[in-house]
Amino acid sequence: MSSSIMILMLSVSTLLGAIGLIALLWGVKTGQFDDTSKFIDGARYDNEEDLRDAVMMEEKQKAAVKKKKEYRPAD
Amino acid sequence: MAQVSCTHCHLTFDESVMIKEEIDGKLCYFCCHGCQGVYHLLHSEGLDTFYAKLGNTKLTPPQPILEESLEKFDLEGFQKRYVKVRDDGLKEISLIIEGIHCSACVWLNEKVLRKSDGVIEADINYTTNKAKVVWDDDTIKLSKIIQTIRAIGYNAFAYDAQIQEELATKKRKEYYMRILVAVFGSMNIMWIAVAKYAGYFTVIEQQFKDILNVAEFILATPVLFYSGWVFFRGAYYGYKNRMVNMDILVATGATLTYIYSIYAMITRSGEVYFESVAMIITFVLVGKYLEVLGKKQAVDTLDQLKNTIPTEVLVVNPDGTKSLQAVENIKAGDILEVNAGEKIVIDGIITKGEANFDESSLTGESLPLFKTIDSEVLSGSICTDSTINYKATKDVSSSLLSSIVALLEDSITKKPRIEQLANSVSGYFSVIILAIAIATFVGWWFFDGSWEKALIISISVVVIACPCALGLATPMATLVGIGTAAKRGIIFKEASFLETMAKGTKIALDKTGTITQGKPTVVSANLKKSFNPSVLYPLVSSSTHPISIGIKNYLEEHFPNIEPRDFTQLKNIQGKGFSAIVDGSEVLGGNLKLLEEFGIDFEMESDNLIFICVVDGEIVASFELKDKLKDGAREAIEELKKQGLSVVMLTGDHQRSAKSIAQEAGIEEFYANLLPQDKAKYIDDFKAQGDVVIMAGDGINDSIALTKSNIAIAMGGGADVTIGVSDVVLLDESPKKLKESHLISKRTYRSIKENISFSIIYNIIAVPLAIMGFVNPLIAALSMSLSSLVVVSNSMRIKNIKFKDTK
Repeated sequence: MSSSIMILMLSVSTLLGAIGLIALLWGVKTGQFDDTSKFIDGARYDNEEDLRDAVMMEEKQKAAVKKKKEYRPAD
Repeated sequence: MAQVSCTHCHLTFDESVMIKEEIDGKLCYFCCHGCQGVYHLLHSEGLDTFYAKLGNTKLTPPQPILEESLEKFDLEGFQKRYVKVRDDGLKEISLIIEGIHCSACVWLNEKVLRKSDGVIEADINYTTNKAKVVWDDDTIKLSKIIQTIRAIGYNAFAYDAQIQEELATKKRKEYYMRILVAVFGSMNIMWIAVAKYAGYFTVIEQQFKDILNVAEFILATPVLFYSGWVFFRGAYYGYKNRMVNMDILVATGATLTYIYSIYAMITRSGEVYFESVAMIITFVLVGKYLEVLGKKQAVDTLDQLKNTIPTEVLVVNPDGTKSLQAVENIKAGDILEVNAGEKIVIDGIITKGEANFDESSLTGESLPLFKTIDSEVLSGSICTDSTINYKATKDVSSSLLSSIVALLEDSITKKPRIEQLANSVSGYFSVIILAIAIATFVGWWFFDGSWEKALIISISVVVIACPCALGLATPMATLVGIGTAAKRGIIFKEASFLETMAKGTKIALDKTGTITQGKPTVVSANLKKSFNPSVLYPLVSSSTHPISIGIKNYLEEHFPNIEPRDFTQLKNIQGKGFSAIVDGSEVLGGNLKLLEEFGIDFEMESDNLIFICVVDGEIVASFELKDKLKDGAREAIEELKKQGLSVVMLTGDHQRSAKSIAQEAGIEEFYANLLPQDKAKYIDDFKAQGDVVIMAGDGINDSIALTKSNIAIAMGGGADVTIGVSDVVLLDESPKKLKESHLISKRTYRSIKENISFSIIYNIIAVPLAIMGFVNPLIAALSMSLSSLVVVSNSMRIKNIKFKDTK
């Protein structure tokens, strides 16, 4: 066994594991595991309509923030 | 008739009682107009898919709610308490949604809220039913949002999402993430280490060893600096507070091992110890995480107490009209009206009417107090039976109830927890090891001349001394101790409490509910022949007054063949008793004051509560009632004394009954007539005298004293706040558990000391070897795991603790 193969094996396996770990950490951090029951049922409501709703909410949020900023001029 | 299910809520009823309606060619049945209304609303909004998502889940039919109650959501007082204004000018509130049965309900609520104009964010947690709603106050009012939720058949309550609660969740999350990294790192390092151990015996080429070392280095780095960050932080705070704590030892040990290993890796001299860096961080971190998890949120329960405080009161204006006003606007001198069952929010003096007041949350006493014109009413008490007017003597913020809440908040946030770690045995040990390491360094440098070699050897001293055994000594023992206690119904909220409790020198007990049952029972009865229990029984059964219940229990016990008679004209006479007509004769039941009022001469002297039954002017029975000691209270107190604690009793009750209970329980030192703040003051005094104070109590009136004490024990049946602020909870309220919890803590503390002394002995053997420069990797690896094993198995022995009363 040459050392380069060993380096390759070690780095690839550790990297794969690290990617999984980072994904998990991201999930924890963004609160995706906070509500276990909702998380399990999430797949049932994953359709086009809900996606549109989510986009609508985002736009609404942006609009509201913008409105508030215009309302209060910078001092 | 056939049973059909309601189209909206899916509850089944007989077809004849259902409302039938044809909607879009489909026959629908509704059990009530509420369901019908909601169905129509959802149908018109195009939200029919809700029913498909709902499946067969049954809902609660919507309850009609009074429209006027919506106004309060827009009042300033309410908004100030619950609504948070965000930096971007939007408003945010935390709500609890009532009536959520399934994820379809969550979907519906979120959907409807999000569709409303002005609602920017609506997120409902299905597990806790808590919702966070963000809205733009210019477009939509909060009352409208609440109304929307109610319109679809749910209800919403505001709750105060305290910053502390958020912090606690954040802290748990943070620990969880750190542990994930630590476990990932150490598990991977372990399999690399296995390869290296194997190589150590079968000879490994230096180039492969280098690769493995580098891999270990890469994995250990995030573990030390990310996961181990909490130890660096703890060490820093320890340093700032001039205390040597475990964190310092873990942090220095791990860092020095890490530096040494890097040195060994680069110079290819000796062995690297990255695996011990990762392992020690992981182990100790998991122990810490368990502590964080177990910590119950005191503030959470404080929210509940605050929620029970009314936000508005009924004010009688000078012109005789009445109006509802926010409590913040009430000034001293205003006349307020209180109805039966309402809680007093503002202290004052009664100007009209008379009533009984339940002051149990202030004094802990269960007997209502009778108050009439010119008596003082205290906030926090509940008016139990009639309407009174009273004049406010203070404003809300200086009233008793608010000051209790404020005091509690204050003492929760200021409770000096870090102090508990000071002077612990492990602290001293850390200092000694660090000192030896420095001495070794200086010694080798002086005699050998090579500072490099001196550094390696002194680091190896720390390495061999620090790892698992000492890291595990305290957490392992306390974990087993906590587990053993939990099995016996004693919940220790934090591991360190075991240690503090074992060091306790004084235990302060509340009277009612802790030592006594809090329910008066008949201790002696003097019955005439003409006494007929069937006459008295229905009368006492109709009342919830503790004395009536005591009499009722007595009658049930002694007269198995009671045939309750019908009675008429039952009248309650405030604070005295009752009168009624049974079988044409007048029956009176009550205390001596009642007899006085009816002009009956009767003399009776007693320390106890008296209840007399009179039929047609003749005294047929007299009872003496007393609050009895709980089973085993006397023995438990005796045991506590034997275990070296001095026992005191603090009570809100009056001197005489306190004295008789104290004598019965075998307590020499007691203080009576105490208000919540007084109890707390006594605790402070005891602490000032150098005592480590354990306090046990069950009511809101004990809660301030509990937060002041070093260790607070709450009885499981007590108020939520009490349980929230305490460190230890006894689930079955028996005084025996008091003794057991102390016993377990002492036993655990002994194990901790054993573990630490073992670690010290281990170190006395291993450290000199290290000092002399003989650290062989084989010895290091073996002794490390062996020492951990000894510590773990010694801790397991706590489970074998013997309690005298169990077989």
